[in-house]
Amino acid sequence: MTLAAQRPQLPFTRPNLLELAPFYEVLRREAPIAPVTTPAGDPAWLATRYAEVRQLLGDKRFGRSHPEPEQAARISLAGIQDGPSGSYDSEAAEHARMRRLLTPAFSAKRMRALSGHVQELVDGYVDEMLAEHDAGGGQVDLHAHLAFPLPVAVICRLLGVPEADGEYFRSLSDRMATYSGQDAQDARIEFGRYMAGLAEAKRADPGEDVITDLVRAQAEEEDFGYEEMVRLCVGLLFAGHETTVNRIGLGTLFLMTRRDQWESLAADPDGRIDAVVEEMMRMGAPGDLGLLRYAHEDVEIGGATIERGDAVILSINAANRDDTVFSDAEDFDPDRTERGHVGFGHGPHFCIGASLARTELRAVFTTLARRIPQLRMAVEMDELDIRTDHITGGVRSLPVAW
Amino acid sequence: MKVEVDQDACVGSGQCLLTAPDVFDQRDEDAIVELLDAEPPAAQHQVVRHAATGCPAAAITVHEH
Repeated sequence: MTLAAQRPQLPFTRPNLLELAPFYEVLRREAPIAPVTTPAGDPAWLATRYAEVRQLLGDKRFGRSHPEPEQAARISLAGIQDGPSGSYDSEAAEHARMRRLLTPAFSAKRMRALSGHVQELVDGYVDEMLAEHDAGGGQVDLHAHLAFPLPVAVICRLLGVPEADGEYFRSLSDRMATYSGQDAQDARIEFGRYMAGLAEAKRADPGEDVITDLVRAQAEEEDFGYEEMVRLCVGLLFAGHETTVNRIGLGTLFLMTRRDQWESLAADPDGRIDAVVEEMMRMGAPGDLGLLRYAHEDVEIGGATIERGDAVILSINAANRDDTVFSDAEDFDPDRTERGHVGFGHGPHFCIGASLARTELRAVFTTLARRIPQLRMAVEMDELDIRTDHITGGVRSLPVAW
Repeated sequence: MKVEVDQDACVGSGQCLLTAPDVFDQRDEDAIVELLDAEPPAAQHQVVRHAATGCPAAAITVHEH
């Protein structure tokens, strides 16, 4: 097949932040498990169709580790999701421990209990947006005033990280997720040192937070290594803010470019919000790659034979816009009846922070709809300052007006 | 309708209790699913079906009579 011979190289250029490269549609139809070349120049498989992506997410024959890590295909020049992580022999045990230690702290019930605090934070940020608007020229950066500080404040509180360090770890996160080679690796190492320092501070002076819990568990459990603990802490702080900051920005852009949807939300925030948030989770398409797995056995799927050790990139973005599953998949339609997007993943790695993200997104968009119903973008889509060569992409600023 | 949950398969995502809070709960200590009502009334059937298909661990089984 021609596609196989071509091994197209990722990433595929997209027309703008809200749309995907049209080539994904071709791949879904013709080669749902396609041989591609990674941005780093190595061979990998790319899964684009919903059925296969969902199946792969739930398939225990795949993991994040590699049987021979030095032989593994490299994905990108970023400092995360760039290649295999963790140990092949202990991945299953480490993953089980991670879920056991962290899932309760981020449970739907705990997050519901946190929603009052999240709402207070959002109200405070929106107060500041209104004040800034009245004091200045009428234009406000929604990224700097709301999308960034909210997830940072919430994850800092849950993990026990000083909020004053926000700018510092934002910069580390940004560098670590950029396709920059050495600098991304340096940032990851520095991030690890920062989290190890925090962990030691918690050991000396325990708090009621997740980092303290992890430090305690690491001290008590013989096979829980220090490096693994630090990697978990970095992952939590990175994923705990980066993903949601990005999603608030993308969600705002979807609603601002679909005025009818925004007006429906403003007319009935509480009645509409859950469906709007789910549609943001389905359509919001961060980055141009996807989730990374390595095959731990030979697997036949979607007409392809994936061999043990092969890298597979699961395109969540493409799966969520599979029009054999979601009718008029490219339309932002909160009223659609199809469910089951894989925006939070699926299977044993299902996003631990899903309930936290939903709580934050709900508070942000009900509050904006209620308090600033005249909200609009202050620049055109093609004038946005976009992060390129970056794992999750998104915007650096989001000028709005009303 | 009869509902069964597999607590060993559950990954604690909490999707079920967001979808059908009258039928599913999460244990405080480990966030694993707890079944509140194994034979829910007809008004709950649709959301229970959604919870079963939406469970990321396929830990919910629904037996329709």
